[in-house]
Amino acid sequence: MIRFDGAGKRHPDGTVAVEGLDLDVPTGRTTVLVGPSGCGKTTLLRMVNRMVEPTSGRVLLDGTDVAALDPAKLRRGIGYVIQQAGLFPHRRVIDNIATVPYLLGWDRKKARARAAELLDLVGLAPETAKRYPFQLSGGQQQRVGVARALAADPPVLLMDEPFSAVDPVVRAGLQEELLRLQSELHKTVLFVTHDIEEAVRLGDQVVVLRERGRIAQLADPHTLLTAPADLDVAAFLGRDRGLRGLGLRPAASVAVRPIPGGPGDGAAGRSPHGVRFAGWELMLDDGRRPIGWIDRDAAGAALEPAPGFRPDADTLRAALDAAVLSPTGIAVALDPEGRAIGTADREAVLAALATRPPSANGARQAEKAEAATGVKAEATTDATAETDGAGGGR
Amino acid sequence: MNWFTWLGDFFSDPDRRSGSNAIANRIAEHLLLSGEALLYAALLAVPLGLLIGYTGRGVTVVTAMAGAARALPTLGLVTLAVLLAGVGDTAVLVPLVALAAPPLLVAAVEGVRGTDPDVRDAARGVGLTHPQVLWQVCLPSALPTLLAGFRTATVQVIATATVAAYVGLGGLGRYVVDGLATRDYAATVGGALLVVLLAVAAQAFFALLARYALPPGLRAQQRAAGRRSS
Repeated sequence: MIRFDGAGKRHPDGTVAVEGLDLDVPTGRTTVLVGPSGCGKTTLLRMVNRMVEPTSGRVLLDGTDVAALDPAKLRRGIGYVIQQAGLFPHRRVIDNIATVPYLLGWDRKKARARAAELLDLVGLAPETAKRYPFQLSGGQQQRVGVARALAADPPVLLMDEPFSAVDPVVRAGLQEELLRLQSELHKTVLFVTHDIEEAVRLGDQVVVLRERGRIAQLADPHTLLTAPADLDVAAFLGRDRGLRGLGLRPAASVAVRPIPGGPGDGAAGRSPHGVRFAGWELMLDDGRRPIGWIDRDAAGAALEPAPGFRPDADTLRAALDAAVLSPTGIAVALDPEGRAIGTADREAVLAALATRPPSANGARQAEKAEAATGVKAEATTDATAETDGAGGGR
Repeated sequence: MNWFTWLGDFFSDPDRRSGSNAIANRIAEHLLLSGEALLYAALLAVPLGLLIGYTGRGVTVVTAMAGAARALPTLGLVTLAVLLAGVGDTAVLVPLVALAAPPLLVAAVEGVRGTDPDVRDAARGVGLTHPQVLWQVCLPSALPTLLAGFRTATVQVIATATVAAYVGLGGLGRYVVDGLATRDYAATVGGALLVVLLAVAAQAFFALLARYALPPGLRAQQRAAGRRSS
């Protein structure tokens, strides 16, 4: 566990980056520090591996004050990923990944074998090993950066806006990958971002920071979205936080109506299917993958897209999105191979929204927020109480 | 008489085929002297430059001093060195080292300072010690700049090593100085041409080094930098 114990940073010129923060970062989980630029989040992260020395308070790593440890040795035991990846331009990818094993004195063969394993783990092709960083895309470089951080299997991972410099599509892929990695590796991750969407997506625990490193709210993502501590946090979360909250809830709760019958015998590889809705018909190909909706009432009407979602993998947000985008208001439920297994109309999706999320605590928070009709819920999470203590300044 | 007949005379003179005044011998002397001067200059300037570039301390002072040092008249330094140290290798080496050191120093400082700050941060962050960062990250990153500094210094030293002849030492300067003294203009022109050719050859050698000897990752970086600046 990482514990910030009144950790503060005052620059020599007198400006205060962090006043003094108390925070526990639990072992094996992802804690996200999120806040506007200048809130001290990066400073806090860098205190953990002594890239920044606190001017007051302490940072404890499993009970040991990091100030008592040799910085280089400490850092070799902590994974570190930064925004621009920071790969060594003159070294091949494989040797970049093996940096820490080399520093720890592993022999070359063992270090490279480990690096090759990691290349695979972060989803890069084996031939990437021989490349140089400049030959990779930004997203690939970031994957190598993550692999380098994980090479010596450190229990703690510090990630400083690691996905901020890549385009949204690549970013979503990297986030997905991190969630998958974390579900296998269970590292203690401290993640810094200014992107609240990223924070609620990745964090088990989200710490919203104000200027000078004061905690505005500490909560799990669902609580944060449904019961922001105050108007400032609500404003930071953005207007559609309710919708974004749907992105945290699995689509499995949507009642899917199975599609009756097997593959049809339609011409030109299409099999007209019996799903009709006000004159529309859902077309499937021979593999039962949806091709589109066609308006049977309009002569010569063109095929319109049939958006779908995967109940086993997608979120309620994706299901709702599909239903909204569909010309018929019906989203197609898909199996992992992309075959249509059923349909869900908007009502079915909305019905799923009305059910309470599984987390009992989250549900209580949600009720509380709804009861207090406005955004200014009286929701006093543990975090706000802690903020007062931290804000006292040490 | 014209340039071509002078050059014809110069290269056909049997005197310059063997013995101490042979062209091959003079070129060897010239290169040896230049090499010696570059070696001392490098030993002096490169470690200092790397350190200054890494710590960032004294950069302004170094840049100012290097600029001023470039204005030093070499011939004046030779004379001063002869007065102080007497005729000998030192009298020529001191001014040549003084000539070669500033570009090397500046190249080392700028090369290290040019290291991508993110790369340095990451290097520290994954647990490299300061000497390891300097040696494993900043030095490789400084190589292209350092190589360019060596090129400048080498060309200047080769061109200027001609002054060795003024204090009675060997090298290609002998042809120039002796030629002027004996009104043997063929020797002067021939010697001057050889100095130019040698300098051009040095330039080409460093261009090849930059092209083929740098690690691929750095070569790409250099090309990118070249595109940006052009």
